Amino acid sequence: MPEPPQSDPRQRNRFILDRETGRSIRARDALTCVFVAVILLLLIEGASIRNSGKKMDSGIQRSMVLAVGHPAGWLADQLPLAAAADKLTASLSPDDDLSGGPGGFNSAPVGGGPVQAAGTGAAGGAAAPITADSFDPADLGVKPKPLPALKNLLVTGDSLAQPLDVQAARRLARDGVVTTRDVHLGTGISKTDLVDWGLLSTKQVKDKQPDAVIMFMGANEGFSFPAAGGKSIDCCSAEWAATYATRARSMMNTYRRDGDARVYWLTLPAPRDPARQKVARVVNAAIAVAAQPYRSQVRVIDLTDALTPRGRYRAAMTVGGRETLVRNPDGLHLNEAGAGVALDIVLERLRADFASLG
Amino acid sequence: MVFPTVQFAVFFPIVLALSWALMRRQSVWKPFMLAVSFLFYAAADPKFCIMLAGMILGNQAAAVLIHRSDDPRRRKLVVVVAVAADLLTLGVFKYYGFFATEINALLEKGGLGLPLPLAAIALPVGISFITFQAISYTVDVYRRLIEPATTFDVGLYLSFFPHLVAGPIVRAREFIPQLQSPRDPKKVAVGAGVALILIGLVKKVAIADYLAREIVDPVFGVPQAYSAPDAILATYAYAVQIFCDFSGYTDIAIGLALLMGFVFPQNFDRPYRAASFGEFWQRWHMTLSRFLRDFLYIPLGGNRKGKLKTVRNLMITMLLGGLWHGAAWGFVLWGAIHGLALVIEHQFRGKVKLPKPVAWFLVFNIVCLAWIPFRAPDLTLAGSFVSRFADWGPATLWTAPIVILTFLVIGLQLLPARPLDALRVRFEGLHPVALGASMACVILFVAATVSSQGVPPFIYFSF
Repeated sequence: MPEPPQSDPRQRNRFILDRETGRSIRARDALTCVFVAVILLLLIEGASIRNSGKKMDSGIQRSMVLAVGHPAGWLADQLPLAAAADKLTASLSPDDDLSGGPGGFNSAPVGGGPVQAAGTGAAGGAAAPITADSFDPADLGVKPKPLPALKNLLVTGDSLAQPLDVQAARRLARDGVVTTRDVHLGTGISKTDLVDWGLLSTKQVKDKQPDAVIMFMGANEGFSFPAAGGKSIDCCSAEWAATYATRARSMMNTYRRDGDARVYWLTLPAPRDPARQKVARVVNAAIAVAAQPYRSQVRVIDLTDALTPRGRYRAAMTVGGRETLVRNPDGLHLNEAGAGVALDIVLERLRADFASLG
Repeated sequence: MVFPTVQFAVFFPIVLALSWALMRRQSVWKPFMLAVSFLFYAAADPKFCIMLAGMILGNQAAAVLIHRSDDPRRRKLVVVVAVAADLLTLGVFKYYGFFATEINALLEKGGLGLPLPLAAIALPVGISFITFQAISYTVDVYRRLIEPATTFDVGLYLSFFPHLVAGPIVRAREFIPQLQSPRDPKKVAVGAGVALILIGLVKKVAIADYLAREIVDPVFGVPQAYSAPDAILATYAYAVQIFCDFSGYTDIAIGLALLMGFVFPQNFDRPYRAASFGEFWQRWHMTLSRFLRDFLYIPLGGNRKGKLKTVRNLMITMLLGGLWHGAAWGFVLWGAIHGLALVIEHQFRGKVKLPKPVAWFLVFNIVCLAWIPFRAPDLTLAGSFVSRFADWGPATLWTAPIVILTFLVIGLQLLPARPLDALRVRFEGLHPVALGASMACVILFVAATVSSQGVPPFIYFSF
């Protein structure tokens, strides 16, 4: 085995090889060991490698993973090993599988999905129907039903929802509000490989019965939607925006719980990257259209005006009379101060809706 | 690129095979290894590679100038400029925002409207580790402990991918001599390397990430929602999380290097069994401790210039050690607590002798308490977290897996090393095929525990 480098005794450096170690001491043994592990993993998890590659953003890493993942996935598909391994390790998984299934976006390609009933997994790929509870009673001349106290708040979305989620939890804790933070990094309405938001939103509502939902998502949008006949709808056409709005509308319908809950859906402040700006503009337009039928329960929180007036990116702005950084260095996410600005706007709307908040 | 990911699982076997295939032809192997290390670094952001290349070239130029000169003043000038440039790079990327905000606040209080411009500067991954290694090279050449290496060797020393982003902080004189000749393919500690990689994976993914998800992040995020039992368990759980996260990374880094024929220094040695703070720092992040000792504490005078200066030197070293972790007052407070503890220990050395279990109990609990400002997003929240210790309410997060994992990891460090080492040596003695099969099984087990969020970055990636 290799000798640890000679060290000055004064340094008292310690090396892992200062003690007795194993018998395999040839480079060939190292390669044998690593390649046995690799072959076993390819045979068992080949399909997972392929799927991981498909979920990655385009680039050299994705190409590298897919170059291995495609043949390995094909091989693994021919063998029953993956199912056996999944069965053995299923109890260790911390999550439910939310990558697809009935009621999800993935089960209903655009132009081919069944229309589902409101409040019962309405987040499928089809447009949510307009129901009687969509209307603001005041608009119909009916006495509005008072909202109960805000007890359960759900803050959800992708990485954009951090650190807003934890700030909301802290600031509302004093009002006795229990905040569930359910952020799914690297996911999106147009990126459903990892998490199908159609399924997830239904599950969130079923599990938590939130009185209010804060949704902030859009860092991973711009992916093509699958369409009927094996075609796809690419970003950022009007058709893409319509599909996005349909999905967002389904989720809004799920979150508003037949009118019992309020939804605060945040639009995207302009990102620094011009390519992302284009996506953000379309996503914001889609959110605005999606919320139209549910205006009495779904509040679209416009962050463009607050953080990036006229759609112009800025890293710093005046907060509390002092010039403050509000964006992370990636030019996309909000930092603590920026999340604070966004949360102030949301809390103002929450307080207007829920009299229980001080 | 993070170690426990599909990308790295594809990258490493290819690099390992090619590395050994090219090893005898050093003129090909070195450019190859340099290229793959840069590729590894570029996975985070290709722009960072420019900074890395700049540090390699800048420090190499300084080392050559120092070596060529016999004039002590000129040598000193060059080393000062090189170290200042390294620290300036670190300062701009890591501390500019922090200091600009603090200085602006001070100027404003003083009625001076001269604010420094604010800029959201991306922090290159592992910049603190790269900077310290660069300083180590230039200063070791200045001290005539090593001669300047070739530019390729310096490039490889600073960019070698197993230790590139989160250490261990390998000294130039430990690594560069290993580049002088091809690694011997008949002297590779395969068993030790595989064992370390697997232990590191389990520590990071199955323990650290689990504890973070289930207790540490919720309680540190919103401390006011929890009462004393949860806050106490979260404190111990974070001590375990950060140990498993960071030592898990260095275990994997050392293991990968061993499979490639390279030896790195040990970075952790059961730190939570320490019965004094001096001992803790000989067991925790050992490569940082010796760097701070050799490049800061001893040059400041160490303990050779009287009691008062020893106190000053200890405090400066630990405060800067805290600040090295990041631009936040929480890190400074963490360093101050450790500095103060070392000072007190130093003052009472030989005068007070506590029974070992009592000393261990005190040291362990102060170390755990010091992690609170280190982990909390700011000092206000750290205070809010500590205030929970006085609020006795229900234990909502005390589940069997959390409690068992937390106290198992702490308990294992208190056991004598011999039985565990014997077990590891037996594992390391397995046939390579059995080692490979074990590796696949452990990876499958670990992968099954990963949440849909994926593997979070190592804590020390941001340092």
